[in-house]
Amino acid sequence: MKKRWMLPFVLLFVLVLAACNGNGDDTAADTAADTTADTAAEATADTAADTTADTAADTTADTAADTTADTAADTTADTAADTTADTAAGSEEVIIGFTASQTGKQNVSSTGQVNGLQLWMDSVNAAGGIELSDGTIVTLKSVTYDDESNTDRVQELYTRLATEDDANFLISPYSSGLTAAAAVIAEQYGKVMITTGAASDSTYQQGLTTVYQAYTPASRYLTGALDLLQQTDPDVEKVAFVYENSKFSTGVVEAAKTYAESLGYEIVLFEGYDPDSTDFGPFINKIEASAPDAILGGGHFQDGSTFARQLAEKNIDVKFFTLLVAPPEPDFADLGQAALGVIGPSQWEKQATFTSESAAEAGLAWFGPTSTEFVDAYTGAYGGDEPSYHAAGGYAAGLILQQAILEADSTDPDAVKAALDGMDLLTFFGHIKFDTTEASHGLQIGHSMIYIQWQDDGGLMKQVVWPAEGATADVLYPKP
Amino acid sequence: MSIPTQTKASPPSRTITAVLKEYAGLLIPIGVVLFIIAWPTITGKDISREAMFTVLLSIALASSLNILLGYSGYVSFGHVVFFGLGGYVGFYLMSVHEWLLWPAMAAGGVSSGLLAFLLGKAILRLRGGYFALATIGINEAIRAAINNFTPFGGPVGMTLNFQVYKNYGGASEALWLSFYTLAAMTLIVITVSYFVRTSKFGLGLLAIREDEDAAEIMGVIAPNAKTWAYVLSAIIPGVLGVLFFFKNGSIEPLPAFRLHFSIEMIVMVMLGGQGTVLGPIIGGLGYQSLRGFLLTSPIFKNIQLAVAGALLLLIILFIPSGIVGWLRKRVPALRRVLR
Repeated sequence: MKKRWMLPFVLLFVLVLAACNGNGDDTAADTAADTTADTAAEATADTAADTTADTAADTTADTAADTTADTAADTTADTAADTTADTAAGSEEVIIGFTASQTGKQNVSSTGQVNGLQLWMDSVNAAGGIELSDGTIVTLKSVTYDDESNTDRVQELYTRLATEDDANFLISPYSSGLTAAAAVIAEQYGKVMITTGAASDSTYQQGLTTVYQAYTPASRYLTGALDLLQQTDPDVEKVAFVYENSKFSTGVVEAAKTYAESLGYEIVLFEGYDPDSTDFGPFINKIEASAPDAILGGGHFQDGSTFARQLAEKNIDVKFFTLLVAPPEPDFADLGQAALGVIGPSQWEKQATFTSESAAEAGLAWFGPTSTEFVDAYTGAYGGDEPSYHAAGGYAAGLILQQAILEADSTDPDAVKAALDGMDLLTFFGHIKFDTTEASHGLQIGHSMIYIQWQDDGGLMKQVVWPAEGATADVLYPKP
Repeated sequence: MSIPTQTKASPPSRTITAVLKEYAGLLIPIGVVLFIIAWPTITGKDISREAMFTVLLSIALASSLNILLGYSGYVSFGHVVFFGLGGYVGFYLMSVHEWLLWPAMAAGGVSSGLLAFLLGKAILRLRGGYFALATIGINEAIRAAINNFTPFGGPVGMTLNFQVYKNYGGASEALWLSFYTLAAMTLIVITVSYFVRTSKFGLGLLAIREDEDAAEIMGVIAPNAKTWAYVLSAIIPGVLGVLFFFKNGSIEPLPAFRLHFSIEMIVMVMLGGQGTVLGPIIGGLGYQSLRGFLLTSPIFKNIQLAVAGALLLLIILFIPSGIVGWLRKRVPALRRVLR
């Protein structure tokens, strides 16, 4: 009898543990999401919209100065949003549906993404909504559920968003796997879905027609680094790839390898390591033996930084070193001299200065805030937290939708879809243009990665070194 | 109310009510499942179909696991391995070799059954906690193997082109088709579960659950009985894995072999009442409806895991034998009808 009692207890212990774990993350998410939802709804609405509108350098001074004007504008906006929703004929409430990973392993990145998206929504609403040419004011409302970072219920939740909550537009969950499952539902109900935080190419090669990608796809994560290498030193011949054996990194590196071969590089080493690797000795020995001029690869933060440190300790003479994911993280600087000269791709960096002027130069339309305005609004709204590129991606997904609604001059899905198909735009996040071919409809073809390099400028600093038009410094080559 | 016992009732003289009473243990579960299947048609809402898909999937998986866990008392913590492996084999055949869904499902079931047979021969000699630990290890090992297996896409996984749904009349029809296929599979697994429960083979399993040594002395060939129970409980998860990932459109090692899913299956079996036919159905329905409700309710959606955990704790604390077990204990009249 005693044994019979044991099993339920053990089971429950495990379950509760899992629940607590999830909720441990949840609290973090909640503090961020809730305080932001609350404070952001009020405070951000003012500051964010204000900064965007005014382009003021000093936000605080500005807010202080504008409080009265703001409150006035805000109350009108709010009452307008509230009352017009059912009374006035010239207004429309658009529902944006998405799931967030409030629990589970994608929690941190997903929270950033959702914060960015929420900031966009708040600033649009605070500015009085999106105005169409016939005077209709489009205001936004979000409906969101927790997808728990797993695919079990993603389709159920997206069906709920599409049918029960009558979401007009969808935003993807975070990560390629969840997005692939959600995309099937978006397509089935003909809902336009802007994906962000979903880099994998394969989702967009499934024959979908209503899904549009904001991120640079995985296949182009490292191609820019090869372009940079070729431009910096045309004499380089031998390239090595050492990468983490995971879905994302493998996809990235395989595409980069093909590209490197097409550029005429000789691949002297192509090795995957286990995601839990802590000792890169065997790989470093192989690198030493094959003597490449450039190394590309890595995977995520832990393994990437360990790899960089061990490579520096062994004094391997390599001219060009690019790693995925790890270098853009501020913590990468903890490596000290080992970080110097390391290059990494990023979807967005605050140093990258896309402006209306650079848009005019490139012959593109410009839309939305500048990077500085976005960063100010974000730090203002989220208690001083710096936005990660996930957050910027979330905001950018919103901007893409907003511009498409404006361009279509309607919220009709077909019109918005047509506007997205024809979109060729520059935002603070970068260039946005979608593939419209049948084979890979919705794949991002305009946006490209930004490459940062850790340089010594009286202390370790991230500098944008590629693409040339967004660069803040020349590339440090060869790597010291 | 006099109920004729099975030995006394001679076949020709049996009335319809007598037959109904005899098979009530099968008819009640089937009735409950048929109601769940009909629910989307009754409400006419797509969301009901999606919600009931999750519920039916859980019922079918929990019922499969119950054949091993409930009847023979062996806890398989890594049962999701069959779901994942079957899913992978079927998905590979559908995406690379362009098989249709049904043969791919059959292939998924066969491969899972085969794996269970081989594993059963090896690890079912372990008892109790050691067996449970071994099943976890196997799940992790198979996942690691698939992560390094290039034909299955390695860590990248595989995706299904959206165009394949056109073979089934379009994406919308494919979703309905998946639902009804799942419905059929659920009915099959319940019928199998009932006949195992009432057969001599099932009695052997129950004897093993109570005391394996005593069962062997009484003539039950324990290793064989356990292996076949393991195989039976593995086939349907393999079939359902193919169906789930077909509907999902993509497959990756981590979601396919998610250990947490295994634990949920065990919880559902325990909640409804292990070792009964109806139990896993009530457990699956109850657990998934509760989670679905909490996940989408405006009040609970931010603390849904904590609330679900607390509720399950209360239920299992006060009704350790599960809902069906509790009913059977409290209402003697139900013992004959609820199996």
